[in-house]
Amino acid sequence: MMAPTVELSGLTKAFGAFVAVDDVSAVASPGQVTALLGPNGAGKTTTLRMLLGLVEPSRGTATFDRQRYDELSEPVRHVGALLEASGCHPGRTALAHLRTLATAARLPRQAPEQVLEETGLSGDARRRVGEYSLGMRQRLGLAAAMLGDPSVVVLDEPTNGLDPPGVRWLRGYVRRLADDGRTVLLSSHALSEVELTADHVLVLSQGRLVRSARLDELRAEAGIGSRARTPEPERLCALLDAAGHAYRRTEEELVVDAPSEQVGELAAVHGIVLHALAATGGLEQAFFHIIGQSDAAAQPAEVRS
Amino acid sequence: MTPLVHAEVLKLRTTRSTGWLLLATLATEALMVAFSIPKRGAQDALVPLDDPGLLAATIGTSLLISQVLVTVFGVMAFTQEYRYGTITSTYLVEPRRPRILLAKLVAATLVSAVVVVATLVLVLPPSIILVQSRDGAATLGAQFWQVVGVGFVVLAASAAIGVALGAVVRHQIAAVVGVLVWMTAVEHVILPALPALGRWLPGGATLSVLQQGQANGLDGDLLPPAVGGPVLLGYVAMAIALAVVVTPKRDVV
Repeated sequence: MMAPTVELSGLTKAFGAFVAVDDVSAVASPGQVTALLGPNGAGKTTTLRMLLGLVEPSRGTATFDRQRYDELSEPVRHVGALLEASGCHPGRTALAHLRTLATAARLPRQAPEQVLEETGLSGDARRRVGEYSLGMRQRLGLAAAMLGDPSVVVLDEPTNGLDPPGVRWLRGYVRRLADDGRTVLLSSHALSEVELTADHVLVLSQGRLVRSARLDELRAEAGIGSRARTPEPERLCALLDAAGHAYRRTEEELVVDAPSEQVGELAAVHGIVLHALAATGGLEQAFFHIIGQSDAAAQPAEVRS
Repeated sequence: MTPLVHAEVLKLRTTRSTGWLLLATLATEALMVAFSIPKRGAQDALVPLDDPGLLAATIGTSLLISQVLVTVFGVMAFTQEYRYGTITSTYLVEPRRPRILLAKLVAATLVSAVVVVATLVLVLPPSIILVQSRDGAATLGAQFWQVVGVGFVVLAASAAIGVALGAVVRHQIAAVVGVLVWMTAVEHVILPALPALGRWLPGGATLSVLQQGQANGLDGDLLPPAVGGPVLLGYVAMAIALAVVVTPKRDVV
């Protein structure tokens, strides 16, 4: 069965005089990772909460194949959501937490154990959530989202609290979800966090959708991705050609239209020595340019733990 | 609907505070029994040792203590979820919020019945032994069984009011402290001081249907049970109606 398409249409939310989300229309398609990007306070969380029926839109609709969340029968079998790391009673064990959800949703008895296994928490299933680290709570939130094996996955800032290996694990996990044909919609305040996973980005700024584009379009606009210096430029060029990455060769280095992670991994796999490798940040700067407040937006991204 | 109720009961069972609160309440009742049953030859007892209504009064007073517990359990059904953010996953599982409200009401009622049974099991045997050892009237007559039967209804009503209050107030500490102050202090001041008002309040109505006028020195001040019952149910209906109106509209942010 084809996963549903998520459609936001004229979605608007005002809290009193403050308009948190302003006339947002966008689509997230099956088999793709769609990233909702924007600085803190851009309206990402409110948008996702409206999609999930937790916040009532002032205007507009948010639907899954034209059905509102509260119109879905057995919603957790269709849509899985991770909204905040703290949504758990600290005195309850992870297993008990998931069992209350599975019981309410009439899911199979073994579903909680399965998702704990998938998210690497099996060994801590019987520990109280109060003893969990932020990263473990985030994994538990993801486990709760996957409980009903949903075809749409909605993740609000899923990398919050994850350590670097956790972030890498999540990237792979999210990518696999989309490759399985699921519709994945996730939010992030940093383009760098999603540039290896997202297919499509929706950029929000001050409640308005200011850009909807495929990531490769943005990358093409931003141009450059990384700079590499190597004593074996010919070999690296041949590899980049084979991998389909555009590049420019200067006296000392290669300027590559691909993120530094990809260039570094490519070189490592083929045993090419790199004397320097740096991300040029072109994409990130393009993002800041889009939201038009590069300085303000750069701060929270840097101080995040 | 049943899975939702089952999940609500599971939520209560899987937190330690539930067990501790129940234990603390039953311990308070055990102390109350030990001190409230009059000693041999006591002259100033509200319900004397040879009064056939003594056991009914004792169990009635215990149920009044249990009533505070089930009201707090009721309040916690929603406020705990708001406090820890689990309300989000609860509403994601069942976005039709009135069904969650209903499930919590049913679960709280079931829990209140368990609390009544636990109260009986804990309070009755030592009370009988104590009364008999003092040569008092250990009578399990019609009045006693009336109090027990009405006790199930009163505690269910209190649990329901608690659930509805929690749905409206949401802030756990404010709601729990408010309920405790109201039930254990405010009404106890108003009833003797202004019986004309106090008898119409939920606490006054409860004392009337549990026939606790004599045991509380309020003989003649309370409504007749046939009026107190509907008054209490009126409060339940009002609280639930308010929760039904408020719950679906609130944004969960």
